[in-house]
Amino acid sequence: MKHYLYLHAQSARSALLKILRQPFGNLLNLLMLAIALALPVSLYLGVSSLQQWTAKLNTTPQITLFMELSSEQADLAAVESSLKHHPRVASFRFVHKDAALKELEQRSGLNAISEGLGSNPLPHAFIVTPQALEPAMLDLLQKELSGLPMVELAQFDATWARKLHAMITLAGQLAWLLAVVFALAMVLINHNTIRMQILARQEEIAVSKLIGATDSFIRRPFLYHAAWQGGLSALLCWGLSSWLAYQANPALAEFASLYGIDAQLRSLQPLEVLGVLLGAMLLSMLGARLAADHHLRKNQPA
Amino acid sequence: MIRFDQVTKRYPGGHEALRNLSFTVESGEMVFLAGHSGAGKSTLLKLVSGIERATSGNVLVNNQNLSKLRASQLPYVRQHIGVVFQDHKILFDRTVFDNVMLPLDIIGFDRRDAQRRVRAALDKVGLAGKEKVMPIRLSGGEQQRLCIARAVVHRPSILLADEPSANLDRAYALDIMELFKSFHQVGVTVLISAHDETLMEDYGRRIIRLREGQFAA
Repeated sequence: MKHYLYLHAQSARSALLKILRQPFGNLLNLLMLAIALALPVSLYLGVSSLQQWTAKLNTTPQITLFMELSSEQADLAAVESSLKHHPRVASFRFVHKDAALKELEQRSGLNAISEGLGSNPLPHAFIVTPQALEPAMLDLLQKELSGLPMVELAQFDATWARKLHAMITLAGQLAWLLAVVFALAMVLINHNTIRMQILARQEEIAVSKLIGATDSFIRRPFLYHAAWQGGLSALLCWGLSSWLAYQANPALAEFASLYGIDAQLRSLQPLEVLGVLLGAMLLSMLGARLAADHHLRKNQPA
Repeated sequence: MIRFDQVTKRYPGGHEALRNLSFTVESGEMVFLAGHSGAGKSTLLKLVSGIERATSGNVLVNNQNLSKLRASQLPYVRQHIGVVFQDHKILFDRTVFDNVMLPLDIIGFDRRDAQRRVRAALDKVGLAGKEKVMPIRLSGGEQQRLCIARAVVHRPSILLADEPSANLDRAYALDIMELFKSFHQVGVTVLISAHDETLMEDYGRRIIRLREGQFAA
């Protein structure tokens, strides 16, 4: 077992040395891979930063409960107590119908409304601030509140919140879609570079097979080469996306300050770096494996 | 031990290289394979090393039936065989030393042990001072010896040589034959093909004569 690990360490080392021996050509290759990785990673970072700010913004829409005109003090008390004990209600405020009328008069400048009307046409209302921002939760809460006794209507303006949420979701999905596309590109690029390498070492492979090399022995150096290529390009991509964030942040901060927000593009967290690293390595190895298998199948002796 | 049991090899296109051939080479035996080019000598050697598969019949090498072995198992059979190829199959992009190292890398020898063995093998074939030389700078005879060193460096139990004395003058060819004899003397099964029978007759070993894929009378 120890010997087996030793052999693999040996392969890993010689694959790395092979890359370092041609720094220029390999750097170009690595940059190509790093850019392919950096696009979805940057979009992902943008989206997740946006999600952080929107969480910070006080954007929770309010739900207004209009009571039926015939509701009485006891009904109001009942609604009040159920709002008080509702787990999803952050806070609420009661607006008496007389206060509402007064506010309407003030705002519209029509002092005589109440005089023209025999009685106050406005209902009592509760203005509820819910806890969750997710539209689905809000919908649920709205339905629930409208079911309270003597509540005529539970209304809230969630369209803008929905739009914002939908846009963030869309951008997030776009990031994933890009990630899938570029993952495929990663496999293809590696497939191609490894295929070239295999062609360059065709004779060595043929002779090795004749004197007893197994398929896994033939594949091993190429898999390690691809793993290094993927790993190094992931590190480059980390640097690239951090640099992008660093470049964009001053302008972004200025823009955000207009809205009184402290906005910043974040860079990859250690765990995310690890994820990108492993993902890039696996995808690269997949490309190499496909190229090697193709060659081995095509050149099967006997 | 090598045993052929009614072996026929037909190449795609219908050419029958070997026809219903049966024979046994015992462990530690040294046997010559004679016949004109096209008689089936190379095909026979390729069947032993699992480079080609028999169309029908059984090829047994060290008690393993190659005809029934899965393709993924063949490399391990080859690792116990040393082959001196007719066209040498030397890799010209690396030194003499690294050429001989290849079989040991494939088997997975410890680096230091491997280096020791490579030096011993090169010493044995008389290329001790040429470790760092690129093969292109070796003479024809030296390339032949390099190929032999590579074939024996992992101490195989069977050594196959396909026309090792072709293109060499007689004195050099005798040298090479002596080399094979020395491997035979330490217990290696040796199977050598050649079209020049005069060289073989001096050795008094068994000769398998082939003509058109069958034993010649």
